Amino acid sequence: MSKGKILVIDDEEIIRTSCLRILSPEGYEIKTAGNGQDGLKMLEEETFDLVLVDLKMPGMDGIEVQKEIRSRWPETKVSIITGYQSFDSEINDADKLIAAGFIEKSFTPDILVATVEKILEEK
Amino acid sequence: MFFGKFIHTLTGKLILTIGTLVIVGSAFFWYFLIKHQETELINNSIEYGYSFVDYVKKSTRYGMLLMRQPLIQETIEAIGSGKGIISVRVFNNDGKITYSSDKKDIGTIFDKNSPMCTSCHVSNGHTKNTPIWSITKGKDSRVMNIVQPIYNEFDCYTSLCHFHSKDQAVLGIIEANLSLALLDKSIRQQGVAITLYVAVFIFVLSSVLGTIFWKFVTTPLNNLSQGMKRVAEGDLDHHLTINTKDEIGELASTFNSMTSDLKKTKHELVEWGNTLEKKVQEKTEAMQRAQNQIMHSEKLASLGRMAAGVAHELNSPLTGIVTFSHIIQKKFTPDTQEYKDLTVIIEQANQCTNIIRGLLGFARASTVEKIPININEVLASSLNIVRNKADFFNIKLNTVLDNSLFPVKADPSKLQQVFLNMIMNAGDAIEGKGEITITTRNINEGGNNFVEIEFTDTGMGISQNNLERLFEPFFTTKPAGKGTGLGLAVSHGIIKEHSGNISVRTKLGEGTSFIIKLPVDGEKV
Repeated sequence: MSKGKILVIDDEEIIRTSCLRILSPEGYEIKTAGNGQDGLKMLEEETFDLVLVDLKMPGMDGIEVQKEIRSRWPETKVSIITGYQSFDSEINDADKLIAAGFIEKSFTPDILVATVEKILEEK
Repeated sequence: MFFGKFIHTLTGKLILTIGTLVIVGSAFFWYFLIKHQETELINNSIEYGYSFVDYVKKSTRYGMLLMRQPLIQETIEAIGSGKGIISVRVFNNDGKITYSSDKKDIGTIFDKNSPMCTSCHVSNGHTKNTPIWSITKGKDSRVMNIVQPIYNEFDCYTSLCHFHSKDQAVLGIIEANLSLALLDKSIRQQGVAITLYVAVFIFVLSSVLGTIFWKFVTTPLNNLSQGMKRVAEGDLDHHLTINTKDEIGELASTFNSMTSDLKKTKHELVEWGNTLEKKVQEKTEAMQRAQNQIMHSEKLASLGRMAAGVAHELNSPLTGIVTFSHIIQKKFTPDTQEYKDLTVIIEQANQCTNIIRGLLGFARASTVEKIPININEVLASSLNIVRNKADFFNIKLNTVLDNSLFPVKADPSKLQQVFLNMIMNAGDAIEGKGEITITTRNINEGGNNFVEIEFTDTGMGISQNNLERLFEPFFTTKPAGKGTGLGLAVSHGIIKEHSGNISVRTKLGEGTSFIIKLPVDGEKV
């Protein structure tokens, strides 16, 4: 039994693969898309519990994708993966990060799993 | 030569002018005095001449009435032999000399047109009413000629001799020539005396005037001109000692006050010149500092842009490295060498992540959200974070916070990042043991209000070399793997965004203070 169905939208393959390889063993069903349009097409075909979307992508960016999903599939949660959102390097503020629903690149497997779990718990 | 110079001096000109006036005046005086005296003497002489002729007439009257001609002749000769008497002659009506002191003349007839007669007679025979004396130039001296008619009197035409008729108005004339030698001598002597008097007068007057002028005008003027020369040569301390109350004294005192004014002005100018040089130097240094700061900021900014680009690109590969290291690690038990090696890979990748985060923070392009905040509160929350860190268990954290601190418009999370960085650095500087003191205060500079936050540690201080590179990205003195060298660079960027600045005060062996100055709400540095 799957812990949840997650769609990863990122233009970088290493991020898509990393998410897949980290989250699949944790019991999540992972599908990936290389850009916003492809991701939205997949959302039209099947239902996802959570979408992880990269902030900076060619074409449609993460914010636009998030808006689109929130209006069309309000049940689906969205988390933005970003390399821009920076927190103080000196303090371990993972809790704060997780709470904000952001996933910061580069992430460790533990942080990714913890963030995803936290978001999906908030039903 | 000397006279040529003297004539151009004021004294020379004045003496020349006065001298000329005195000489001309004296000459007139001399001339008119001499003329007057001469006239007086001549008039007197004429009077005497008349008296003399009258006397001759009266002396011969008796002889005339008795017609005793030898007696008359004798009398005339006797009179004519007197001193100063040249000749005495008696003429009859026809111009014939009838008696004379010189017998040779008797019988000589003078025509009525002869010069002797025309002095009384006009050509038609009538006598003139003109004076009947004249002075002519004689052989040795001047000669006065007196002519007096012998008028017909009752006794003359009634005399027994009947020599003269009743109808005759003038019976003849008496003429006397008298020498004026004495008179001339006297006049000459008087002239010499008067000339002498005038010369002495001119000399005395010139001397007195010259002396007065020399003492009261020339000498003070020379002093004045020498003083001016000295002042012109730059000796502004020279003081004129002319204490008279006249115009020259006034000029001297004006000159003295002018000199002291000049001295004062010159002094001020020199002072001003000196200060100007100093001010220019200060300004140049300030400009140099500002220029350096701008260059430094620009260097930091371009470095930041480049670093951010690189950092962003590195994020995704790092994610891959960490992810797959974890995946492989899970296949080994923690006691295996493979597990430990993978741990090293993960740690190193995480260190890379930390560096990238620092770089992104340093070059942050996102806008800061400024709201009015109380710096003391931000500091308190920063201190709460560090107090729970093991590194700070042995550090005494002092706070000297100003309770009436002005609110500052700033981004609290960014400021917290800066404050944490400052506190962490201080903690590293004292190596976990010692004191960190945080002070806040309001200050006013140039009419603008600022809030100052000072972080002071009791560490070893910062060397001059390190001080210059303190805010450069990647510059660190911490051991490898501990510091990224981005903390201060990032803090610097954040404070700049808030229009503030960070300065450092350090003393080797005693400690360091970082002072952050932020403008109070609405004000820019």
